[in-house]
Amino acid sequence: MTVIQTTGLTRRFGALTAVDSLDLDIPTGGVIGLVGPNGAGKSTLIRMLLGLIRPSEGAATVLGESIVEPARFSDRVGALIESPAFVPALSARTNLVSLARLRGLPSARVDDVLDTVGLTGRDRDPVSTFSLGMKQRLGIAAALLPDPELLILDEPTNGLDPAGIVEIRQLLRALGDQGRTVIVSSHLLSEIEAACDHLVVIRFGKLIFAGPLADLLGKTSQYVDVAPEHAADAELLHGLLELQGWPLVAVGGVIRVDARIEDSPAINRAATAGGVTLRLLTAGQGTLEDVFLRITGDGDAELPHQQARQAGGMPSPGRVFADEKAGA
Amino acid sequence: MFRTTLSELTRLQRKSFLLGWVGISALFVTMISTFTFKAAADGTTLPSSAPGVSFPTAAALVQPDGIVSGLGSAATLLGVVTLAFWAIATATDYSTGLVRLLVQAQPNRPRLLGGKILALTGWTAAVTTVVTIVAVALAPLMARATGISTSAWTTGIVGNVAGAWLNTFLALMVWGVIGLVIAVLTRSSAVAIAVGVGYVLVFEAVVRLASVRLADWLPGSTLNALAHGGTAAVAYGTAVALGLAYASFGLVTAAVTFKRRDILD
Repeated sequence: MTVIQTTGLTRRFGALTAVDSLDLDIPTGGVIGLVGPNGAGKSTLIRMLLGLIRPSEGAATVLGESIVEPARFSDRVGALIESPAFVPALSARTNLVSLARLRGLPSARVDDVLDTVGLTGRDRDPVSTFSLGMKQRLGIAAALLPDPELLILDEPTNGLDPAGIVEIRQLLRALGDQGRTVIVSSHLLSEIEAACDHLVVIRFGKLIFAGPLADLLGKTSQYVDVAPEHAADAELLHGLLELQGWPLVAVGGVIRVDARIEDSPAINRAATAGGVTLRLLTAGQGTLEDVFLRITGDGDAELPHQQARQAGGMPSPGRVFADEKAGA
Repeated sequence: MFRTTLSELTRLQRKSFLLGWVGISALFVTMISTFTFKAAADGTTLPSSAPGVSFPTAAALVQPDGIVSGLGSAATLLGVVTLAFWAIATATDYSTGLVRLLVQAQPNRPRLLGGKILALTGWTAAVTTVVTIVAVALAPLMARATGISTSAWTTGIVGNVAGAWLNTFLALMVWGVIGLVIAVLTRSSAVAIAVGVGYVLVFEAVVRLASVRLADWLPGSTLNALAHGGTAAVAYGTAVALGLAYASFGLVTAAVTFKRRDILD
Protein backbone atom coordinates (compact mmCIF):
# COMPACT_ATOMS: atom_id res chain seq x y z
CA MET A 1 0.00 0.00 0.00
CA THR A 2 1.49 3.32 -1.04
CA VAL A 3 0.59 6.69 0.39
CA ILE A 4 2.22 8.60 -2.45
CA GLN A 5 2.87 7.37 -5.95
CA THR A 6 4.36 9.41 -8.76
CA THR A 7 4.85 8.40 -12.36
CA GLY A 8 7.10 10.48 -14.57
CA LEU A 9 6.27 13.51 -12.46
CA THR A 10 7.93 16.55 -13.98
CA ARG A 11 7.83 20.24 -13.31
CA ARG A 12 9.63 22.81 -15.38
CA PHE A 13 10.07 26.50 -14.71
CA GLY A 14 11.10 27.85 -18.08
CA ALA A 15 14.42 26.20 -18.97
CA LEU A 16 14.84 24.81 -15.48
CA THR A 17 13.55 21.34 -14.67
CA ALA A 18 12.91 21.33 -10.94
CA VAL A 19 11.43 17.82 -10.80
CA ASP A 20 12.51 15.50 -13.57
CA SER A 21 10.46 12.39 -14.49
CA LEU A 22 10.18 11.28 -10.88
CA ASP A 23 8.91 7.75 -10.28
CA LEU A 24 8.32 7.25 -6.61
CA ASP A 25 6.38 4.97 -4.29
CA ILE A 26 6.20 5.90 -0.64
CA PRO A 27 4.82 3.19 1.63
CA THR A 28 2.06 3.84 4.12
CA GLY A 29 3.01 4.32 7.77
CA GLY A 30 6.16 5.38 9.55
CA VAL A 31 8.41 8.37 9.27
CA ILE A 32 9.96 9.01 5.88
CA GLY A 33 12.79 11.44 5.28
CA LEU A 34 12.90 13.52 2.11
CA VAL A 35 16.38 14.86 1.61
CA GLY A 36 18.37 16.53 -1.10
CA PRO A 37 20.64 19.55 -1.54
CA ASN A 38 19.22 23.04 -1.85
CA GLY A 39 17.44 23.31 -5.16
CA ALA A 40 17.04 19.54 -5.47
CA GLY A 41 13.32 19.87 -6.06
CA LYS A 42 11.97 18.87 -2.64
CA SER A 43 9.73 21.88 -2.17
CA THR A 44 8.48 21.72 -5.75
CA LEU A 45 7.65 18.04 -5.26
CA ILE A 46 5.80 18.77 -2.02
CA ARG A 47 3.88 21.65 -3.58
CA MET A 48 2.84 19.48 -6.50
CA LEU A 49 1.66 16.73 -4.15
CA LEU A 50 -0.43 19.25 -2.22
CA GLY A 51 -1.99 20.80 -5.31
CA LEU A 52 -0.28 24.16 -4.93
CA ILE A 53 1.46 23.90 -8.27
CA ARG A 54 0.64 21.84 -11.32
CA PRO A 55 2.97 19.30 -12.86
CA SER A 56 4.27 19.91 -16.37
CA GLU A 57 4.10 16.19 -17.11
CA GLY A 58 3.38 12.93 -15.37
CA ALA A 59 0.91 11.95 -12.71
CA ALA A 60 0.77 11.34 -9.00
CA THR A 61 -1.59 10.11 -6.36
CA VAL A 62 -1.83 11.01 -2.69
CA LEU A 63 -3.74 8.56 -0.48
CA GLY A 64 -4.93 6.95 -3.69
CA GLU A 65 -6.38 10.16 -5.15
CA SER A 66 -4.99 12.08 -8.09
CA ILE A 67 -3.20 15.31 -7.26
CA VAL A 68 -5.27 16.93 -10.00
CA GLU A 69 -8.14 16.93 -7.50
CA PRO A 70 -6.58 17.83 -4.14
CA ALA A 71 -10.01 18.40 -2.59
CA ARG A 72 -10.39 14.62 -2.53
CA PHE A 73 -7.55 14.18 -0.04
CA SER A 74 -6.97 17.58 1.59
CA ASP A 75 -9.09 16.65 4.63
CA ARG A 76 -6.72 13.75 5.32
CA VAL A 77 -3.46 15.60 4.80
CA GLY A 78 -1.69 18.12 7.02
CA ALA A 79 1.35 20.06 5.91
CA LEU A 80 3.94 22.55 7.02
CA ILE A 81 5.39 23.95 3.84
CA GLU A 82 8.68 25.82 4.16
CA SER A 83 8.42 28.43 6.91
CA PRO A 84 5.31 28.58 9.10
CA ALA A 85 2.90 31.26 7.83
CA PHE A 86 0.41 33.04 10.03
CA VAL A 87 -1.18 36.43 10.56
CA PRO A 88 1.39 38.03 12.89
CA ALA A 89 -1.04 40.38 14.64
CA LEU A 90 -3.39 37.58 15.66
CA SER A 91 -2.90 35.15 18.51
CA ALA A 92 -1.82 31.58 17.95
CA ARG A 93 -5.27 30.43 18.96
CA THR A 94 -7.09 32.79 16.59
CA ASN A 95 -4.86 31.74 13.73
CA LEU A 96 -5.63 28.09 14.40
CA VAL A 97 -9.34 28.80 14.89
CA SER A 98 -9.45 30.44 11.45
CA LEU A 99 -7.83 27.36 9.91
CA ALA A 100 -10.12 25.03 11.85
CA ARG A 101 -13.14 26.96 10.56
CA LEU A 102 -11.78 26.75 7.03
CA ARG A 103 -11.63 22.98 7.39
CA GLY A 104 -14.98 22.76 9.19
CA LEU A 105 -13.38 21.44 12.38
CA PRO A 106 -14.62 22.09 15.93
CA SER A 107 -12.71 24.61 18.05
CA ALA A 108 -11.93 21.85 20.54
CA ARG A 109 -9.49 20.49 18.00
CA VAL A 110 -7.44 23.67 18.42
CA ASP A 111 -6.96 22.90 22.12
CA ASP A 112 -5.83 19.38 21.25
CA VAL A 113 -3.13 20.45 18.83
CA LEU A 114 -1.95 23.34 21.02
CA ASP A 115 -1.50 20.85 23.81
CA THR A 116 0.29 18.40 21.52
CA VAL A 117 2.94 20.93 20.48
CA GLY A 118 3.28 22.49 23.93
CA LEU A 119 1.90 25.95 23.19
CA THR A 120 -1.07 25.92 25.53
CA GLY A 121 0.30 28.63 27.83
CA ARG A 122 1.17 31.03 25.01
CA ASP A 123 -1.85 30.46 22.78
CA ARG A 124 -3.36 33.92 23.39
CA ASP A 125 -0.16 35.81 22.59
CA PRO A 126 0.22 37.42 19.16
CA VAL A 127 2.26 35.32 16.75
CA SER A 128 4.46 38.39 16.16
CA THR A 129 5.90 37.87 19.67
CA PHE A 130 6.81 34.25 18.98
CA SER A 131 10.34 32.98 18.48
CA LEU A 132 11.11 30.99 15.34
CA GLY A 133 10.89 27.78 17.33
CA MET A 134 7.44 28.69 18.66
CA LYS A 135 6.25 29.57 15.18
CA GLN A 136 7.55 26.20 14.08
CA ARG A 137 5.51 24.48 16.78
CA LEU A 138 2.48 26.48 15.69
CA GLY A 139 3.08 25.39 12.10
CA ILE A 140 3.14 21.77 13.21
CA ALA A 141 -0.04 22.38 15.21
CA ALA A 142 -1.73 23.72 12.08
CA ALA A 143 -0.62 20.67 10.15
CA LEU A 144 -2.03 18.39 12.85
CA LEU A 145 -5.44 20.12 12.89
CA PRO A 146 -7.21 17.72 10.50
CA ASP A 147 -5.86 14.71 12.44
CA PRO A 148 -4.16 13.71 9.19
CA GLU A 149 -3.37 10.29 7.80
CA LEU A 150 -0.49 11.89 5.94
CA LEU A 151 1.63 14.61 7.48
CA ILE A 152 4.15 16.47 5.34
CA LEU A 153 6.57 18.65 7.27
CA ASP A 154 9.22 20.81 5.65
CA GLU A 155 12.08 21.50 8.09
CA PRO A 156 9.95 20.90 11.21
CA THR A 157 12.83 21.36 13.66
CA ASN A 158 14.08 24.59 12.13
CA GLY A 159 14.69 27.15 14.90
CA LEU A 160 14.02 24.74 17.75
CA ASP A 161 16.41 24.38 20.67
CA PRO A 162 17.95 20.93 21.36
CA ALA A 163 15.20 20.00 23.82
CA GLY A 164 12.58 21.10 21.31
CA ILE A 165 14.22 19.06 18.57
CA VAL A 166 14.11 15.93 20.70
CA GLU A 167 10.49 16.67 21.62
CA ILE A 168 9.43 17.09 18.00
CA ARG A 169 11.38 13.98 17.00
CA GLN A 170 9.50 12.00 19.64
CA LEU A 171 6.23 13.47 18.43
CA LEU A 172 6.98 12.48 14.83
CA ARG A 173 7.96 8.99 15.92
CA ALA A 174 4.77 8.68 17.96
CA LEU A 175 2.68 9.82 14.98
CA GLY A 176 4.47 7.35 12.74
CA ASP A 177 3.96 4.56 15.25
CA GLN A 178 0.22 5.33 15.28
CA GLY A 179 0.06 4.18 11.67
CA ARG A 180 0.19 7.63 10.10
CA THR A 181 2.65 8.48 7.42
CA VAL A 182 4.94 11.36 8.28
CA ILE A 183 7.12 12.78 5.54
CA VAL A 184 9.88 15.00 6.86
CA SER A 185 11.94 17.17 4.60
CA SER A 186 15.03 18.36 6.42
CA HIS A 187 18.60 19.48 6.07
CA LEU A 188 19.42 18.15 9.53
CA LEU A 189 20.58 14.72 8.46
CA SER A 190 21.27 13.64 12.03
CA GLU A 191 17.60 14.29 12.73
CA ILE A 192 16.52 12.34 9.67
CA GLU A 193 18.78 9.50 10.74
CA ALA A 194 17.34 9.54 14.26
CA ALA A 195 13.67 9.85 13.30
CA CYS A 196 13.10 8.15 9.97
CA ASP A 197 12.40 4.61 8.85
CA HIS A 198 12.60 5.26 5.12
CA LEU A 199 14.47 7.73 3.05
CA VAL A 200 13.90 9.43 -0.28
CA VAL A 201 16.91 11.23 -1.74
CA ILE A 202 16.53 13.50 -4.74
CA ARG A 203 18.97 15.68 -6.61
CA PHE A 204 18.35 17.83 -9.67
CA GLY A 205 14.76 16.69 -9.40
CA LYS A 206 15.66 13.06 -9.98
CA LEU A 207 15.31 10.17 -7.59
CA ILE A 208 18.64 8.94 -6.28
CA PHE A 209 17.48 6.61 -3.56
CA ALA A 210 14.22 5.44 -2.06
CA GLY A 211 14.02 2.73 0.53
CA PRO A 212 14.66 1.77 4.12
CA LEU A 213 17.23 3.93 5.84
CA ALA A 214 19.02 0.80 7.05
CA ASP A 215 19.62 -0.27 3.45
CA LEU A 216 21.33 2.99 2.68
CA LEU A 217 23.44 3.02 5.79
CA GLY A 218 24.23 -0.70 5.84
CA LYS A 219 25.08 -1.33 2.23
CA THR A 220 26.65 1.79 0.99
CA SER A 221 28.31 3.75 3.69
CA GLN A 222 31.08 1.45 4.88
CA TYR A 223 34.65 2.51 4.24
CA VAL A 224 38.24 1.61 5.00
CA ASP A 225 40.81 4.31 5.75
CA VAL A 226 44.43 3.49 4.92
CA ALA A 227 47.71 5.38 5.08
CA PRO A 228 51.24 4.25 4.07
CA GLU A 229 54.04 4.10 6.58
CA HIS A 230 56.03 6.51 4.42
CA ALA A 231 54.28 9.53 2.97
CA ALA A 232 56.23 9.13 -0.28
CA ASP A 233 54.35 5.86 -0.92
CA ALA A 234 50.96 7.55 -0.95
CA GLU A 235 50.79 7.85 -4.72
CA LEU A 236 51.90 4.22 -5.17
CA LEU A 237 49.30 3.01 -2.69
CA HIS A 238 46.64 5.05 -4.41
CA GLY A 239 47.50 3.41 -7.72
CA LEU A 240 47.60 -0.10 -6.25
CA LEU A 241 44.15 0.22 -4.72
CA GLU A 242 42.73 1.86 -7.80
CA LEU A 243 43.93 -1.14 -9.83
CA GLN A 244 41.76 -3.36 -7.63
CA GLY A 245 38.74 -1.35 -8.69
CA TRP A 246 37.86 0.26 -5.40
CA PRO A 247 36.55 3.82 -5.58
CA LEU A 248 38.73 5.95 -3.34
CA VAL A 249 39.51 9.45 -2.38
CA ALA A 250 42.58 10.97 -0.71
CA VAL A 251 41.85 13.20 2.24
CA GLY A 252 44.98 14.74 3.74
CA GLY A 253 47.43 11.89 4.33
CA VAL A 254 44.71 9.25 4.41
CA ILE A 255 43.13 7.36 1.55
CA ARG A 256 39.48 6.55 2.11
CA VAL A 257 38.50 3.41 0.22
CA ASP A 258 34.85 2.93 -0.59
CA ALA A 259 34.75 -0.70 0.47
CA ARG A 260 32.99 -2.97 2.89
CA ILE A 261 34.53 -3.70 6.27
CA GLU A 262 35.08 -7.31 5.12
CA ASP A 263 37.36 -6.01 2.37
CA SER A 264 39.95 -4.77 4.88
CA PRO A 265 42.20 -7.89 4.61
CA ALA A 266 42.13 -7.72 0.81
CA ILE A 267 43.15 -4.06 0.93
CA ASN A 268 45.99 -4.90 3.30
CA ARG A 269 47.15 -7.73 1.02
CA ALA A 270 47.05 -5.51 -2.06
CA ALA A 271 49.21 -2.90 -0.37
CA THR A 272 51.69 -5.41 0.96
CA ALA A 273 51.91 -7.18 -2.42
CA GLY A 274 52.79 -3.82 -3.98
CA GLY A 275 55.53 -3.23 -1.43
CA VAL A 276 53.71 -0.68 0.67
CA THR A 277 53.54 -1.06 4.43
CA LEU A 278 50.48 0.43 6.03
CA ARG A 279 50.67 2.53 9.20
CA LEU A 280 46.88 2.88 9.30
CA LEU A 281 44.05 0.56 8.37
CA THR A 282 40.72 1.45 9.91
CA ALA A 283 37.30 0.23 8.86
CA GLY A 284 34.24 2.29 9.64
CA GLN A 285 30.69 3.01 8.81
CA GLY A 286 29.65 6.41 7.54
CA THR A 287 26.82 8.46 8.87
CA LEU A 288 23.87 9.48 6.77
CA GLU A 289 25.67 12.76 6.24
CA ASP A 290 28.65 10.97 4.69
CA VAL A 291 26.40 8.98 2.39
CA PHE A 292 24.36 12.02 1.53
CA LEU A 293 27.38 14.10 0.60
CA ARG A 294 28.77 11.27 -1.49
CA ILE A 295 25.65 10.55 -3.45
CA THR A 296 24.55 14.13 -3.91
CA GLY A 297 27.92 15.83 -4.23
CA ASP A 298 29.19 18.31 -1.68
CA GLY A 299 27.57 21.46 -2.99
CA ASP A 300 24.18 22.95 -3.43
CA ALA A 301 22.20 22.09 -6.51
CA GLU A 302 21.52 25.72 -7.22
CA LEU A 303 20.80 27.12 -10.61
CA PRO A 304 24.26 27.24 -12.24
CA HIS A 305 24.92 23.58 -11.45
CA GLN A 306 21.49 22.61 -12.54
CA GLN A 307 21.84 24.43 -15.82
CA ALA A 308 25.29 22.99 -16.40
CA ARG A 309 24.04 19.49 -15.81
CA GLN A 310 21.03 19.99 -18.04
CA ALA A 311 23.37 21.16 -20.74
CA GLY A 312 25.20 17.82 -20.37
CA GLY A 313 28.34 19.27 -18.81
CA MET A 314 28.22 17.77 -15.35
CA PRO A 315 28.11 14.14 -14.23
CA SER A 316 25.55 13.13 -11.67
CA PRO A 317 27.15 11.60 -8.56
CA GLY A 318 23.81 10.01 -7.90
CA ARG A 319 24.11 7.91 -11.04
CA VAL A 320 27.36 6.42 -9.72
CA PHE A 321 25.63 5.57 -6.51
CA ALA A 322 22.60 4.14 -8.22
CA ASP A 323 24.80 1.92 -10.41
CA GLU A 324 26.70 0.69 -7.37
CA LYS A 325 23.47 -0.07 -5.61
CA ALA A 326 22.10 -1.93 -8.56
CA GLY A 327 25.22 -4.05 -8.65
CA ALA A 328 25.31 -4.70 -4.92
CA MET B 1 -18.58 29.26 1.15
CA PHE B 2 -19.78 29.71 4.75
CA ARG B 3 -16.61 28.11 6.13
CA THR B 4 -14.28 30.20 4.02
CA THR B 5 -16.16 33.40 4.89
CA LEU B 6 -16.12 32.62 8.61
CA SER B 7 -12.43 31.75 8.41
CA GLU B 8 -11.64 35.01 6.61
CA LEU B 9 -13.68 37.03 9.10
CA THR B 10 -11.64 35.44 11.88
CA ARG B 11 -8.39 36.47 10.18
CA LEU B 12 -9.69 40.00 9.66
CA GLN B 13 -10.00 40.49 13.43
CA ARG B 14 -6.85 42.61 13.39
CA LYS B 15 -7.37 45.76 15.41
CA SER B 16 -4.83 47.75 13.42
CA PHE B 17 -6.45 46.68 10.15
CA LEU B 18 -10.06 47.31 11.07
CA LEU B 19 -9.50 50.42 13.16
CA GLY B 20 -7.23 51.74 10.44
CA TRP B 21 -9.86 51.17 7.76
CA VAL B 22 -12.72 52.65 9.79
CA GLY B 23 -10.60 55.43 11.27
CA ILE B 24 -9.06 56.65 8.03
CA SER B 25 -12.43 56.50 6.27
CA ALA B 26 -14.10 58.46 9.09
CA LEU B 27 -11.26 60.99 9.08
CA PHE B 28 -11.50 61.52 5.33
CA VAL B 29 -15.27 61.90 5.32
CA THR B 30 -14.93 64.42 8.14
CA MET B 31 -12.32 66.40 6.23
CA ILE B 32 -14.17 66.28 2.92
CA SER B 33 -17.53 67.13 4.52
CA THR B 34 -15.98 70.10 6.24
CA PHE B 35 -14.38 71.25 3.01
CA THR B 36 -17.58 70.65 1.06
CA PHE B 37 -19.60 73.08 3.17
CA LYS B 38 -16.76 75.57 3.48
CA ALA B 39 -16.11 75.54 -0.27
CA ALA B 40 -19.82 75.86 -1.08
CA ALA B 41 -20.22 78.80 1.30
CA ASP B 42 -17.11 80.49 -0.13
CA GLY B 43 -18.09 79.72 -3.71
CA THR B 44 -14.83 77.84 -4.30
CA THR B 45 -14.77 75.52 -7.31
CA LEU B 46 -12.42 72.70 -8.21
CA PRO B 47 -10.32 72.66 -11.37
CA SER B 48 -12.01 70.77 -14.20
CA SER B 49 -9.24 68.17 -14.28
CA ALA B 50 -9.74 67.12 -10.65
CA PRO B 51 -9.83 63.31 -10.81
CA GLY B 52 -13.21 61.80 -10.16
CA VAL B 53 -14.23 64.45 -7.66
CA SER B 54 -17.12 66.87 -7.67
CA PHE B 55 -18.29 69.20 -4.95
CA PRO B 56 -21.82 70.57 -4.68
CA THR B 57 -22.67 74.24 -4.79
CA ALA B 58 -24.43 76.05 -1.97
CA ALA B 59 -27.64 75.81 -3.99
CA ALA B 60 -27.29 72.04 -4.12
CA LEU B 61 -26.52 71.76 -0.43
CA VAL B 62 -29.84 73.25 0.62
CA GLN B 63 -31.72 70.53 -1.31
CA PRO B 64 -33.22 67.55 0.63
CA ASP B 65 -30.19 65.37 -0.18
CA GLY B 66 -27.78 68.07 1.02
CA ILE B 67 -27.46 66.23 4.33
CA VAL B 68 -25.51 63.42 2.62
CA SER B 69 -23.55 65.58 0.19
CA GLY B 70 -20.34 65.16 2.18
CA LEU B 71 -20.53 61.43 1.66
CA GLY B 72 -20.75 61.76 -2.11
CA SER B 73 -17.90 64.25 -2.19
CA ALA B 74 -15.68 61.92 -0.20
CA ALA B 75 -16.59 58.87 -2.29
CA THR B 76 -13.43 58.80 -4.42
CA LEU B 77 -11.14 59.20 -1.43
CA LEU B 78 -13.11 56.55 0.46
CA GLY B 79 -12.83 54.39 -2.65
CA VAL B 80 -9.05 54.65 -2.64
CA VAL B 81 -8.99 53.75 1.06
CA THR B 82 -11.25 50.76 0.38
CA LEU B 83 -9.07 49.71 -2.54
CA ALA B 84 -6.04 49.86 -0.25
CA PHE B 85 -7.59 47.76 2.52
CA TRP B 86 -8.98 45.13 0.16
CA ALA B 87 -5.53 44.96 -1.43
CA ILE B 88 -3.83 44.63 1.97
CA ALA B 89 -6.23 41.88 3.07
CA THR B 90 -5.53 39.99 -0.15
CA ALA B 91 -1.81 40.56 -0.64
CA THR B 92 -0.97 39.81 3.00
CA ASP B 93 -1.89 36.19 2.32
CA TYR B 94 0.90 36.12 -0.23
CA SER B 95 3.48 38.17 1.67
CA THR B 96 3.12 36.03 4.81
CA GLY B 97 2.96 32.78 2.86
CA LEU B 98 -0.42 32.09 4.44
CA VAL B 99 -1.85 31.38 1.01
CA ARG B 100 0.03 28.03 1.04
CA LEU B 101 -1.79 26.97 4.17
CA LEU B 102 -5.16 28.26 2.97
CA VAL B 103 -5.06 26.58 -0.44
CA GLN B 104 -3.85 23.34 1.10
CA ALA B 105 -6.75 23.42 3.58
CA GLN B 106 -9.30 24.51 0.97
CA PRO B 107 -8.17 23.46 -2.52
CA ASN B 108 -11.32 24.92 -4.09
CA ARG B 109 -9.69 28.25 -4.86
CA PRO B 110 -12.73 30.14 -6.22
CA ARG B 111 -14.53 29.22 -3.01
CA LEU B 112 -11.58 30.52 -0.99
CA LEU B 113 -11.60 33.78 -2.93
CA GLY B 114 -15.40 33.99 -2.64
CA GLY B 115 -15.15 33.70 1.14
CA LYS B 116 -12.64 36.53 1.24
CA ILE B 117 -14.86 38.73 -0.93
CA LEU B 118 -17.92 38.05 1.23
CA ALA B 119 -15.99 38.82 4.42
CA LEU B 120 -14.61 42.05 2.96
CA THR B 121 -18.07 42.93 1.68
CA GLY B 122 -19.35 42.71 5.24
CA TRP B 123 -16.65 45.06 6.47
CA THR B 124 -17.20 47.42 3.55
CA ALA B 125 -20.85 47.62 4.56
CA ALA B 126 -19.81 48.38 8.14
CA VAL B 127 -17.35 51.07 7.03
CA THR B 128 -20.03 52.57 4.75
CA THR B 129 -22.39 52.71 7.72
CA VAL B 130 -19.81 54.45 9.90
CA VAL B 131 -18.95 57.07 7.28
CA THR B 132 -22.65 57.65 6.57
CA ILE B 133 -23.27 58.28 10.26
CA VAL B 134 -20.27 60.63 10.42
CA ALA B 135 -21.38 62.55 7.30
CA VAL B 136 -24.99 62.84 8.48
CA ALA B 137 -23.96 63.88 11.99
CA LEU B 138 -21.49 66.45 10.71
CA ALA B 139 -23.72 68.02 8.05
CA PRO B 140 -26.03 70.05 10.36
CA LEU B 141 -23.03 71.31 12.34
CA MET B 142 -21.24 72.46 9.20
CA ALA B 143 -24.44 73.90 7.72
CA ARG B 144 -24.97 76.00 10.83
CA ALA B 145 -21.31 77.09 10.82
CA THR B 146 -21.42 78.13 7.16
CA GLY B 147 -24.93 79.55 7.14
CA ILE B 148 -26.46 77.02 4.78
CA SER B 149 -30.17 76.36 5.23
CA THR B 150 -31.18 72.88 6.39
CA SER B 151 -34.94 73.32 6.30
CA ALA B 152 -35.38 71.01 3.30
CA TRP B 153 -33.22 68.21 4.72
CA THR B 154 -36.02 66.60 6.70
CA THR B 155 -37.94 65.91 3.49
CA GLY B 156 -37.48 62.23 2.68
CA ILE B 157 -34.47 62.03 4.97
CA VAL B 158 -34.64 58.27 5.45
CA GLY B 159 -34.77 57.60 1.72
CA ASN B 160 -31.99 60.07 1.00
CA VAL B 161 -29.68 58.63 3.67
CA ALA B 162 -30.48 55.05 2.66
CA GLY B 163 -29.92 55.90 -1.00
CA ALA B 164 -26.62 57.59 -0.22
CA TRP B 165 -25.54 54.60 1.86
CA LEU B 166 -26.41 52.22 -0.96
CA ASN B 167 -24.70 54.26 -3.66
CA THR B 168 -21.59 54.74 -1.55
CA PHE B 169 -21.54 51.06 -0.68
CA LEU B 170 -21.83 50.03 -4.34
CA ALA B 171 -19.07 52.42 -5.35
CA LEU B 172 -16.80 51.23 -2.53
CA MET B 173 -17.46 47.60 -3.47
CA VAL B 174 -16.21 48.23 -6.99
CA TRP B 175 -13.17 50.06 -5.62
CA GLY B 176 -12.56 47.11 -3.31
CA VAL B 177 -12.79 44.62 -6.15
CA ILE B 178 -10.27 46.70 -8.11
CA GLY B 179 -7.92 46.52 -5.11
CA LEU B 180 -8.47 42.77 -4.87
CA VAL B 181 -7.70 42.23 -8.55
CA ILE B 182 -4.51 44.29 -8.47
CA ALA B 183 -3.41 42.45 -5.30
CA VAL B 184 -4.09 39.03 -6.84
CA LEU B 185 -2.19 40.02 -9.97
CA THR B 186 0.77 41.65 -8.22
CA ARG B 187 0.71 39.71 -4.91
CA SER B 188 1.88 42.90 -3.22
CA SER B 189 -0.22 45.32 -1.20
CA ALA B 190 2.33 48.11 -1.69
CA VAL B 191 2.22 47.74 -5.47
CA ALA B 192 -1.56 47.43 -5.45
CA ILE B 193 -1.99 50.62 -3.43
CA ALA B 194 0.56 52.48 -5.54
CA VAL B 195 -1.18 51.40 -8.75
CA GLY B 196 -4.63 52.31 -7.38
CA VAL B 197 -3.67 55.72 -6.03
CA GLY B 198 -1.49 56.50 -9.03
CA TYR B 199 -4.34 55.58 -11.33
CA VAL B 200 -6.86 57.84 -9.63
CA LEU B 201 -4.59 60.80 -8.96
CA VAL B 202 -2.50 60.73 -12.10
CA PHE B 203 -3.83 58.57 -14.89
CA GLU B 204 -7.45 59.65 -14.89
CA ALA B 205 -6.43 63.29 -14.45
CA VAL B 206 -4.16 63.04 -17.48
CA VAL B 207 -6.85 61.29 -19.51
CA ARG B 208 -9.32 63.98 -18.45
CA LEU B 209 -7.00 66.68 -19.74
CA ALA B 210 -6.78 64.83 -23.05
CA SER B 211 -10.41 63.81 -23.37
CA VAL B 212 -13.15 64.68 -20.90
CA ARG B 213 -15.61 62.43 -22.74
CA LEU B 214 -13.33 59.38 -22.41
CA ALA B 215 -12.47 60.17 -18.78
CA ASP B 216 -16.15 60.15 -17.83
CA TRP B 217 -16.25 56.45 -18.63
CA LEU B 218 -13.21 55.48 -16.58
CA PRO B 219 -13.62 53.90 -13.13
CA GLY B 220 -12.81 57.02 -11.09
CA SER B 221 -15.47 59.17 -12.74
CA THR B 222 -17.94 56.33 -13.08
CA LEU B 223 -17.73 55.39 -9.41
CA ASN B 224 -17.89 59.02 -8.38
CA ALA B 225 -21.09 59.31 -10.41
CA LEU B 226 -22.40 56.12 -8.83
CA ALA B 227 -21.73 57.43 -5.33
CA HIS B 228 -23.49 60.69 -6.16
CA GLY B 229 -26.51 58.87 -7.58
CA GLY B 230 -25.55 60.10 -11.07
CA THR B 231 -23.94 63.28 -12.37
CA ALA B 232 -24.50 65.57 -15.32
CA ALA B 233 -21.81 63.69 -17.25
CA VAL B 234 -22.73 60.12 -16.28
CA ALA B 235 -26.33 59.13 -15.60
CA TYR B 236 -27.06 56.93 -12.59
CA GLY B 237 -28.13 53.97 -14.71
CA THR B 238 -24.99 54.23 -16.79
CA ALA B 239 -22.85 54.47 -13.66
CA VAL B 240 -24.49 51.36 -12.17
CA ALA B 241 -24.05 49.42 -15.42
CA LEU B 242 -20.44 50.49 -15.85
CA GLY B 243 -19.70 49.80 -12.17
CA LEU B 244 -21.15 46.32 -12.51
CA ALA B 245 -19.15 45.77 -15.68
CA TYR B 246 -15.91 46.85 -14.00
CA ALA B 247 -16.67 44.67 -10.96
CA SER B 248 -17.62 41.64 -13.07
CA PHE B 249 -14.53 41.94 -15.20
CA GLY B 250 -12.40 42.32 -12.09
CA LEU B 251 -13.96 39.35 -10.31
CA VAL B 252 -13.55 37.07 -13.33
CA THR B 253 -9.93 38.19 -13.76
CA ALA B 254 -9.16 37.61 -10.07
CA ALA B 255 -10.92 34.23 -9.97
CA VAL B 256 -9.24 32.90 -13.13
CA THR B 257 -5.82 34.15 -12.05
CA PHE B 258 -6.15 32.77 -8.53
CA LYS B 259 -7.46 29.43 -9.77
CA ARG B 260 -4.82 28.86 -12.41
CA ARG B 261 -1.68 30.35 -10.94
CA ASP B 262 0.86 28.24 -9.08
CA ILE B 263 1.28 29.01 -5.40
CA LEU B 264 4.98 29.72 -5.17
CA ASP B 265 4.90 32.25 -2.32
